[in-house]
Amino acid sequence: MKTDSLLIRIGLAFYLLLFFTYLLGPLVLMSITAFNSPSFPQATPWEVLTFEWFRVLYNDARIINGIKNSFIVGFFTVILSVIMGLAGALMLTQIWPKMRATFYTIIIAPILIPGVVLGISTLVFWDRINVMLGLSNDSFLHNGILLTVLGQSTFIASYCMLVFVARLQRYDTGLTEAALDLGATHTQAFRKIQLPFLAPAIGSAAVLAFLASFENYNTTTFTFGKYPTLTIELAQKVRYGINPSISSLAFIIVVLTVFFALAHEVRNRRAQLAIANGAPVGAVSAGFKLPKVFAGNPAAIILALFVTVSISLIAFAQFYDPEPAKAVLLKKKRAEQQKRIDALQKRLKEKRLQKIFKGPDIFGDGSSKVPQPPSKTPFGNVFDPGNLNKVAPGKEKPAAKPASPFGNVFDPGNLNKVAPEEKGKTTKP
Amino acid sequence: MSEGVGVDLQDVWIKFGEFVAVRQANVNIKGGEFFSFLGPSGCGKTTILRAVSGFLEPSDGKILIGGNDMAGFGPNERPTALIFQNLALFPLMKVWENIAFSLEVKGASASERRKRADELLDMIALTGQGDKLPSELSGGQRQRVAIARALCAEPDVLLLDEPLSALDLKLRQHMRTELREIQKRVGITFIYITHDQGEALTMSDSVAVMKAGIIDQIADGKSIYDDPATAFVASFVGENNVFRGTVKKVTKDMAVISTNRTGDLRARIPASAQTKLSLGDQAMLFIRPEALDVTESKNKSDTRIKAKVHHSEFEGQGYNVFLEGSEGKEIKMSLTNRGETRMYDSGMELTLHYDANQAVALPAGELASE
Amino acid sequence: MGNGLLKDFFKRNGTVMGWFLIIAVTFWVVVLIILPQISMFDFSFRNHLPPPEMGGPKDVYTLKNYKYLIFGAEGNPDAYNKTDLAVFGKTLLAAAFVTILDLVLCYPIAYYLGQSRGGGLTRVLVLFLIIPYWINEILRAFAFRIIFGDSGVINEMMMFLGLIDSPIDFIRENVALYAGLGYAYILLMIFPMYNVIESLDRNQIEAARDMGASWVKIHRRIVIPYAKPGISSGCTMVFMLSAGALAAPQILGGPSSLWFTQIIYQWFNQGGNWPQGSAFAAVLLATCIFIVLAVMRIFKVNMGDIGK
Repeated sequence: MKTDSLLIRIGLAFYLLLFFTYLLGPLVLMSITAFNSPSFPQATPWEVLTFEWFRVLYNDARIINGIKNSFIVGFFTVILSVIMGLAGALMLTQIWPKMRATFYTIIIAPILIPGVVLGISTLVFWDRINVMLGLSNDSFLHNGILLTVLGQSTFIASYCMLVFVARLQRYDTGLTEAALDLGATHTQAFRKIQLPFLAPAIGSAAVLAFLASFENYNTTTFTFGKYPTLTIELAQKVRYGINPSISSLAFIIVVLTVFFALAHEVRNRRAQLAIANGAPVGAVSAGFKLPKVFAGNPAAIILALFVTVSISLIAFAQFYDPEPAKAVLLKKKRAEQQKRIDALQKRLKEKRLQKIFKGPDIFGDGSSKVPQPPSKTPFGNVFDPGNLNKVAPGKEKPAAKPASPFGNVFDPGNLNKVAPEEKGKTTKP
Repeated sequence: MSEGVGVDLQDVWIKFGEFVAVRQANVNIKGGEFFSFLGPSGCGKTTILRAVSGFLEPSDGKILIGGNDMAGFGPNERPTALIFQNLALFPLMKVWENIAFSLEVKGASASERRKRADELLDMIALTGQGDKLPSELSGGQRQRVAIARALCAEPDVLLLDEPLSALDLKLRQHMRTELREIQKRVGITFIYITHDQGEALTMSDSVAVMKAGIIDQIADGKSIYDDPATAFVASFVGENNVFRGTVKKVTKDMAVISTNRTGDLRARIPASAQTKLSLGDQAMLFIRPEALDVTESKNKSDTRIKAKVHHSEFEGQGYNVFLEGSEGKEIKMSLTNRGETRMYDSGMELTLHYDANQAVALPAGELASE
Repeated sequence: MGNGLLKDFFKRNGTVMGWFLIIAVTFWVVVLIILPQISMFDFSFRNHLPPPEMGGPKDVYTLKNYKYLIFGAEGNPDAYNKTDLAVFGKTLLAAAFVTILDLVLCYPIAYYLGQSRGGGLTRVLVLFLIIPYWINEILRAFAFRIIFGDSGVINEMMMFLGLIDSPIDFIRENVALYAGLGYAYILLMIFPMYNVIESLDRNQIEAARDMGASWVKIHRRIVIPYAKPGISSGCTMVFMLSAGALAAPQILGGPSSLWFTQIIYQWFNQGGNWPQGSAFAAVLLATCIFIVLAVMRIFKVNMGDIGK
């Protein structure tokens, strides 16, 4: 019996480890690639620590524009979704029972309807309205921002509704009645009593709505029109050529997410401790001495570590210069590359002597995963990232690098490294 | 606030679909009166209160407050204030904000509100507690805040929905006195809902006893106790020994009931039930435990009951003796402790006696199940 | 009767709040949910026409868009539209596979988290669960592309260990796609199960153990029946989202395998044939609704259990 439970425990611990590796590993690896110098995102082999991808990201006008659009869409989606979700939840509490199940099914359905269907139906519907009204093709009904907000709100409002329903279940309708009884109008009762009670839920619903809007792809991809959001821009980039500046964006998002998640957890935990101590939150937090913040609050410890590491990383980036290390590596690589090319050429020559048509087959396979068109010539593949330790994804770059005696001076990525202060700006999210 | 505003219910019916919650209620509550609705849970008393305060409209009939028909007026337009069973204090507002909420919705300035709240806090003996949150007060204090909040609205009628039910016994008894005093001081009409007869009898000028949507009797406390109008009232208010049987003899105010197990017993017919009993009718006879006594006389009479002691309990101010009449009929007798030792041992054969004026005969009817 | 209800509604909410509720809910339900679906459905029965001809004599209802899905373009040598139907079937199968994968993967975790006493560790683990969910869908797929690429960590590691000689093409084999889809919806599988299992009284399990039940038996007879609403809710959500996924297949899908949503996407963005795309979308929607209803019927779950 005892060995049995021990076995289960070990098994469980191992499983937990494996599971959370699957969960967090990809994010960690992706973050690492943001600091590796090769222009194809890769964690191994590790070459040179660099911060240049953050600069590339900062100078990417499309990404910046995408972020701007995402914020505009997010802002309006939050407002619309929270209002509709709240109205839906309030309606649900008082709709007569026979209708309730049907009504709930209708307003929960957008969560289950595939996002692409929502996007298509929004697009088709407003296009029809547009045609019916006899408006031109660039009328406001074809505005990508409007359509995206409408399409996203359709299902994000359902998420908000769920948040409100959960909160409303704990609401005592007697409070509204008490307010009415004391002479308040219905609007006053709602504004002064029910709305303050719902305030925390409105906060969480708004955060949820914004995040859902920010990361939405399926619906937006049909509706965005002339206003691609960040997610759309990212998808374009990821589909048609990747570079580690996307990793650096991912890194920033991961860092922000972790930071806010931890901060939220610390606050929750503190409020819980306060309740456990039987005192209002304010009193406890005011009375805390520094070390006590961490008492029984593992999230606080992690948060503190996390902030320290982030700050030192940013500080480090201020005066770190990857160039010397890069130069050394480049030299080594070039020698290696030359060796390989020589070897390949030698082998080719031998093969060509043996049988002239077999040549291309050796390289033809397994080289097309990266979105470059597979090259038919044996030499094209030599420079393919699949074969050459991924020096670069583009064909011009690896060719230009060894050709220039000045190394990386003319590399477009380097032109941006003007001053260290400016670099600080990009790495500081 | 000298005269007070009366409340009238005229043929009020309240239905929820097929279910009839209140059946033809006719109540006349005088201005400045402390009026209670007493009844077991689910009898419709809260429904009446909600109809008076305007949360629901009667399906039929009229509700008048101060002589004005209230049909179509919402709760925020009626001169009533309701104290909820769970008090419904606004948890996110400070005590003083709670109290002055009715002024806030009228648009009074903060200083005005604060001033009025402080006056009311003085009245309920919570001076200086205005800046606390309701959750930081004790049960009794919250109770008083709820009252102050309702009074701040200066209602003509204060409605109270079992407001003491959440308090412990001691506090409850204390709050009864306090409520009564507040009512006398402000002089407005109080309508009080309770299932606790002690509360109803001690505080009220008048009590309406309700059963399953029907008002059985409206009278002052003493009449309810001494002259119950129905079998239900007799069994619900206070304790009673019940004897079932048929009417054997009947005069204007006296009847002899031939009971099923205990022989013939005589009792008074209360004024409200006179003319309702005639020969051969099914009837019920009620004798309160404290109306019974032990007599030495073994003579047969229609105010005597033979019974055997089952067991007895000493309760300090008196005894309860539990007896078994003929065919196992259970009888309870309460005796006052006057210092003599009159404990009765199990198995003793006794003859009980009562004054026919203290027993009541009523038409047979539904009893309270408690 | 209806009039009375409406009056009652306004009495309970007041005029301003009442109108606010009615307008907001109507806008959402009618203008955003119902009408667009109807309009998409309507559109799927129309001919593909240039805008000037819309409403003209050629704008008549037709079944040809649905016929195309089943029989293919006119002159198709096969009896059926093999390509599209195969993609459709493969998508549903793959989504089912992802769902099962997630269920197997998540059940132990949900059970562990649900039954552990909510200590600091549990809270941190729950936090870890949530974090990946808030990372952009595209970036998550991107991460898997990095991992499963030719020179990704997995290939590099296996080559280093000498397990393989040349990189395995995980993308072509769809391994990356399944891993990425499964990854994306882990949270949606865990949380419904976790919520239900959390409310399961620990004593029930202790009692069963006390009576000598094995772990397998405890789960089969006590935990799983109890967690059924959570399990079916999680499975429904994961299945729907996997079948309707677009980003992950676009980024992680092999060159030879298409997801049904990708075909729809092509009709809209490359083909420009909206009625055809609408028909495909309508088929996807109808299939999904059918599957959800079937699952709810089979497992006797209510709509109210979904989304908890």
